[in-house]
Amino acid sequence: MARKLLKAYVSKNQLMFGEKTMRKTKSIALGIALAVGTFTASGAMAATTLENVKEKGHLQCGVTTGLPGFSQPDEKGNWTGIDVDTCRAVAAAIFGDASAVEFTPLTAKERFTALQSGEIDMLSRNTTWTLTRDASLGLNFAGVNYYDGQGFLINKDIGVDDALQLDGASICIQAGTTTELNLSDYFRAKGMEFKPIVFDTSEQTVQGFSAGRCDVLTSDRSQLAALRSKLSDPSAAKILPNTISKEPLGPVVRQGDDQWFNIVKWVLSVQINAEELGVTSANADDMLKSDNPNIQRLLGTDGDMGAKLGLPDDFGHKVVKLVGNYGEMYDRNVGPDTPLGLDRGINALWTDGGIMYAPPVR
Amino acid sequence: MAESTMKPPKKALSPVKWMREHLFSTWYNALLTLAVGYLLVTSVGPLLNWLLFEANFQGQDASDCTGAGACWLFISQRLNFFIYGFYPDELQWRVDAMFLLLAIAFVPQFIERFPGRKWLGIFGMTGLPIIGYFLIPGGTFGLEVVESTKWGGLMLTLILAYIGILASLPIGILLALGRRSEMPIIRGLSVVFIEVWRAVPLITVLFMASVMLPLFLPEGVNFEKLARALIGITLWQSAYMAEVIRGGLQAIPRGQYEAADALGLGYWRKMGLVILPQALKMVIPGIVNTFISLFKDTTLVLIIGLFDVLGTVQSTVTDPAWQNVAIEGYVFVAFCFWVFCFGISRYSQNLERKLDTGHKT
Amino acid sequence: MGNPMTEQTQTSNATPSEQDNTGKKSDIIRVEGMHKWYGDFHVLKDLNLTVAQGERIVICGPSGSGKSTFIRCINRLEEHQQGKIIVDDVELTDDVRQIDTVRREVGMVFQHFNLFPHLTVLENCCLSPIWVRKIPRKEAEATAMEYLERVKIPDQALKYPGQLSGGQQQRVAIARALCMKPKIMLFDEPTSALDPEMIKEVLDVMIELAGSGMTMLCVTHEMGFAKTVADRVIFMDGGEIVEEAPPHEFFTNPREARTQKFLQQILAH
Ligand SMILES: Nc1ncnc2c1ncn2[C@@H]1O[C@H](COP(=O)(O)OP(=O)(O)OP(=O)(O)O)[C@@H](O)[C@H]1O
Ligand SMILES: N[C@@H](CCC(=O)N[C@@H](CS)C(=O)NCC(=O)O)C(=O)O
Ligand SMILES: [Mg+2]
Repeated sequence: MARKLLKAYVSKNQLMFGEKTMRKTKSIALGIALAVGTFTASGAMAATTLENVKEKGHLQCGVTTGLPGFSQPDEKGNWTGIDVDTCRAVAAAIFGDASAVEFTPLTAKERFTALQSGEIDMLSRNTTWTLTRDASLGLNFAGVNYYDGQGFLINKDIGVDDALQLDGASICIQAGTTTELNLSDYFRAKGMEFKPIVFDTSEQTVQGFSAGRCDVLTSDRSQLAALRSKLSDPSAAKILPNTISKEPLGPVVRQGDDQWFNIVKWVLSVQINAEELGVTSANADDMLKSDNPNIQRLLGTDGDMGAKLGLPDDFGHKVVKLVGNYGEMYDRNVGPDTPLGLDRGINALWTDGGIMYAPPVR
Repeated sequence: MAESTMKPPKKALSPVKWMREHLFSTWYNALLTLAVGYLLVTSVGPLLNWLLFEANFQGQDASDCTGAGACWLFISQRLNFFIYGFYPDELQWRVDAMFLLLAIAFVPQFIERFPGRKWLGIFGMTGLPIIGYFLIPGGTFGLEVVESTKWGGLMLTLILAYIGILASLPIGILLALGRRSEMPIIRGLSVVFIEVWRAVPLITVLFMASVMLPLFLPEGVNFEKLARALIGITLWQSAYMAEVIRGGLQAIPRGQYEAADALGLGYWRKMGLVILPQALKMVIPGIVNTFISLFKDTTLVLIIGLFDVLGTVQSTVTDPAWQNVAIEGYVFVAFCFWVFCFGISRYSQNLERKLDTGHKT
Repeated sequence: MGNPMTEQTQTSNATPSEQDNTGKKSDIIRVEGMHKWYGDFHVLKDLNLTVAQGERIVICGPSGSGKSTFIRCINRLEEHQQGKIIVDDVELTDDVRQIDTVRREVGMVFQHFNLFPHLTVLENCCLSPIWVRKIPRKEAEATAMEYLERVKIPDQALKYPGQLSGGQQQRVAIARALCMKPKIMLFDEPTSALDPEMIKEVLDVMIELAGSGMTMLCVTHEMGFAKTVADRVIFMDGGEIVEEAPPHEFFTNPREARTQKFLQQILAH
């Protein structure tokens, strides 16, 4: 009960003051979050998240209410997207079944409370890893499955090639995201002015841009290409090269259950390592015979890596075989051959000039 | 008698005369007629072209939407999702069965003289929800469980609206009676309840139900989000309903209360047999109005991540594989809502006519 | 108690001070020292009345004198604040069960009929017998038809009140009250909302009812009715019972000045 109330307090802050104000109340909230953590950790009698998930027989995963490439229902109503696959990989690791997961669509406002209150086991919802969120909400970010950043889509007519030339521009934004804040930070830092035109949904934002209500549309870069393709004349618009913010997106878990935190963190790491080691869903079975010790540990033919996490030793094999390595997950959902058509860019492996780097399975 | 064979004189007009009388009676009426006619001719044609003649109905994927008109292919491909949400395919017969029962119970209400339609209507308001209570979630009678998180689309819209409507009526009646009660505590509580809920927008109620409530519930008590939303919608709607019904109660002349008292009916029978039947009949238009607005207000659940029919459409129109299908999506949703809201409104008109005993007190 | 007028009329039955026990048996209504206020307004002042079983009483008086209020106290449509009202050996207090018991035995007919417009004539008549007396529907309907015949409108049984004339409606209202087989009937100006040609049909029914031995309290200005039917006429003014006498005496030889003045006005019409 006490724990519930504390959590209530934390999220009430979050709801009532918004994230910006929350920085001011950070110290209080931090203390409370710590207390929450302690309570959760000391709740030894309470079952762990892993036990709960196993007992339920499925993983409950929070996703967006529909964001192309990240999580969106397809025509059959099946969830698809890179955030969705991140959840499926965890299910595959626990149950050896990538479909043992149920999705809870969450709005941006609901996402953290849903996790705090235990409604979901993990959150994989296009969520930017920031200090405030990590430290004061009783949450832990378990890694990054997509390095995003905020960018601009402009009308070619205004003849601009760089964001620094945008002084005085009218800019269409979607309300309630980190996007709004980044934009004003950027313009203030550069000593420029802008006229914000705020819309409620991304659909309306595009329509506003399309109708000429603004010269510029700003959003996370991962979405800009998709938004551009929605325009009646996509060739009349272009994406500027500037990235004005860092938006590392990744899965989130409740603070206080280290085992669960490790599971989610290492399932993602296994996918990234698998790509680095050339293990794919297609060759995962053949690779079981590999004599590369790194691959053997990854797939569980050698060592007891799984047991250390409370998982079956072959969890890596199941993850890669059933969901694929990171590259496959990327290409399938957001890569160049998808409607989003995003190049790997900084999301390429560190060995390929990107920053996608996972600690070793050892 | 002689009068009985006499008929009122008929007022038959030839089309030309009719037009002259109704459309071109004065120069400004004529102008108006021409202007409206011009608008109709210029807008109806393109609209029909877009909706039907140049629309695309068949094909496999987005590339088959080549015509200039609407891309209904997008809707037809996702129809299953828009109607059932994430409800598993092989269990959708359960939802179909409920749709069928709903039709059996309510379609006859539009057919004058359909045998036993009154009983079908009563079944629709009692048996039907009970069957649905067991059939849709499963878990009993060997039915496989389908969690409420998997319900969605039109089915969810109907569940929300139907339960909201059905439950808010009796609660609203009790609140209205409470507000007119002579017992100060009951009256006070009713007034507070009604005024508090009525003063809050539904969107806030839903948000509280989805975000705040779970945190204040004792550990271990975990309501599903849908249940919380339903309770919120029902209580909010009851407050409105109570005020509509109170209007009806106030319009009943005092003599009716006194006559019922003098017959020794006692409070509940007085209300149930004499006052409420008249009061409710009197406020049918108001009740139906709140029903219709509730039906439409259920779309607000999409802000708490429940996928009603609008939610399912909204979550998929952003699919980058399809170009600009948002209009088709919203037209489809509008059509769904129009069908049901128009149905409710027609039904209420039928009901009003049927209950009309000709004369007021 | 010491009201001389009350005691005088009591002589036709029995003096209550002498025969408490047997007196109660035949006295179906007893009102003792009853007062009523509306807020600060003292409407009824020290009313005393005893009505024997089968007695027919007409109450008259100028408008606003408290006649309606008085008879509405007898079935507790209005609450009195002081004194006693005992109806059929049941005292009217705040006790809801007692009130319901009394109301079951007391029928009432209103000036404006107050039929239930959403029910047919027959349903109006059966409602209370079925729900309060728990009589089977068939039986209740048969009884209702009997009474509708008695008030001479059996052919209107399936119509709605809105389809009847005022006189017909008032007769239905009488039948509806009778269907509960009450021991007492209260009438509050039953004819004053009717056109002259309809008054007679209602009065005829009331006269017939009086002949059957029903205890009746009628507020009415129909002096003809009072003369033929009443055992006693009560004159009220300013919330008080001013005079109480058998009709012959009342009309020919009123004792109080206020009564005389009232009668002059009425008979002048
Ligand atoms: N609910 C009420 N509140 C306050 N005063 C009332 C109320 N009802 C009646 N009165 C007052 O009480 C007095 C008696 O009213 P009552 O209706 O009993 O008169 P009445 O003798 O029946 O008159 P009438 O012949 O016009 O029907 C009147 O002065 C009236 O204004
Ligand atoms: N990554 C940012 C923004 C995430 C965000 O809300 N993005 C929008 C699109 S740019 C979104 O998710 N929209 C769909 C939805 O709300 O379901 C954050 O964590 O605040
Ligand atoms: Mg009166």
